Amino acid sequence: MASTSSLKPVSSLKLFNLESLSNIESHYDKLAFKLSNPLLTKSVQISTTHQAFSARRPSKDASTKAFFFNIGKPKPEPTKVQELYVYEINERDRGSPAYLRLSKKDANSLGDLVPFSNKLYTGDLQKRLGITSGLCVLIKHVPEKKGDRYEAIYSFYFGDYGHISVQGPYLTYEDTHLAVTAGSGVFEGVQGVVKLQQIVFPFKLFYTFYLKGIKDLPAELVVKPVVPTATAEPSAAAKATEPQATIPNFTD
Amino acid sequence: MAAASSTSAAFRAASSSVKLLTSSSPTAQNILSFKPFSNPLISNNFRLTANSAATCRSFTCKSQSTPSDSTPTKVQELNVYEINERDRGSPAFLKLSQKDVNSLGDLIPFTNKIYSGCLQKRLGITAGICILIKHEPEKKGDRYEAIFSFYFGGYGHIAVQGPYLTYEDTYLAVTGGSGIFEGAYGQVKLQQLVFPFKLFYTFYLKGIPDLPSELLGPPVTPSPAVEPSAAAKACEAGATVSNFTN
Repeated sequence: MASTSSLKPVSSLKLFNLESLSNIESHYDKLAFKLSNPLLTKSVQISTTHQAFSARRPSKDASTKAFFFNIGKPKPEPTKVQELYVYEINERDRGSPAYLRLSKKDANSLGDLVPFSNKLYTGDLQKRLGITSGLCVLIKHVPEKKGDRYEAIYSFYFGDYGHISVQGPYLTYEDTHLAVTAGSGVFEGVQGVVKLQQIVFPFKLFYTFYLKGIKDLPAELVVKPVVPTATAEPSAAAKATEPQATIPNFTD
Repeated sequence: MAAASSTSAAFRAASSSVKLLTSSSPTAQNILSFKPFSNPLISNNFRLTANSAATCRSFTCKSQSTPSDSTPTKVQELNVYEINERDRGSPAFLKLSQKDVNSLGDLIPFTNKIYSGCLQKRLGITAGICILIKHEPEKKGDRYEAIFSFYFGGYGHIAVQGPYLTYEDTYLAVTGGSGIFEGAYGQVKLQQLVFPFKLFYTFYLKGIPDLPSELLGPPVTPSPAVEPSAAAKACEAGATVSNFTN
């Protein structure tokens, strides 16, 4: 299925759009791009070097074996961190997001739910990978930051390669780190975090995955990223999902 | 008070030694290995762990005084109080089932404050959603599927998922984390003290470096009357973690 390759840094920018278009008009008329919390970034770096032997979470299908009885299966090095970069782009053709104002209040309030699904591209914006899909639960409006805090629970779909599930904070006014909770396919057994950067709120987001516990990612996913800017766009071929500009059975 | 703390200490010791027997994951093994323990509380709890997504790999002893990053099966316990002080608009009970009685379809987003186990420091918040699964009339309560995170300010967050039963304690799976909790796995025990305003959690965390001492320390014995210190409630300097989440 996937060819292995040596680890190369991958960077791609994806913007993750959660707010409904009406909210954009009312609240946000400027780019909400800020640097991520430096404390968290530092923590990520420190923890990766200290985790000498983080026990890899066994896959749900395989029976759990004791540490030294893992015969046959090549064991991914527990501490190797692979970086994966993707762009998430809302091209406004998926009916997303669906802002459910269930709190029945004028301002964004606890009770509002925002299911969403956007398109996913490789970090170099040359290939269409698939989609994101999930839910943002509005937690609170943060007036002094002119933004909101959401709890985001969603997955990134990479066609035949599988998917990665994440859970964590989405703040419309700053970058965050979400937990990588699980994966399937080439991402089975994955652990780690993903950094979310908003490029153009709320249409373009850039993600940097720091993944552990999986075999080397396929070369197709490991590309030199396009530096995130407001004007970064997928290639015309990728947008048109031409065969050479997509991964096998890209999710749609 | 002394009796209560010795009970809680005994419980913790028992649950730690119970972990010694938890080898590979099969459900039957988990239940069998806990039969020798007469403490009904533990047997109940570990029946529920069969449902948790986290699998235990430990065949070695639990944490010893060795450096954190050399023992893959080291389990760290972390205690947290979750308290709804009714100032966050939480919970938001969305009766989308449109039935009189709690039914599948009802959703409950929520966010409460969390304090350290010793109730001296404000840590941050919980944030997430409870999905009502079924009403249990004979238990006078409900079953929810809970998906939420615990935010510990500058330290990062822990993501969990699992059952929340309003009528008994449960174990949820620790699905991941960020910051110092990056790579975390394991489970967390949920104990309700005052439904639905006060809950006590005991995390059993694996796969992370040693937790900072600020988060550890003997917890206040859970009871309905526990309250955070006045300084922690007021978020005074010294009574919170750095950049506590709010």
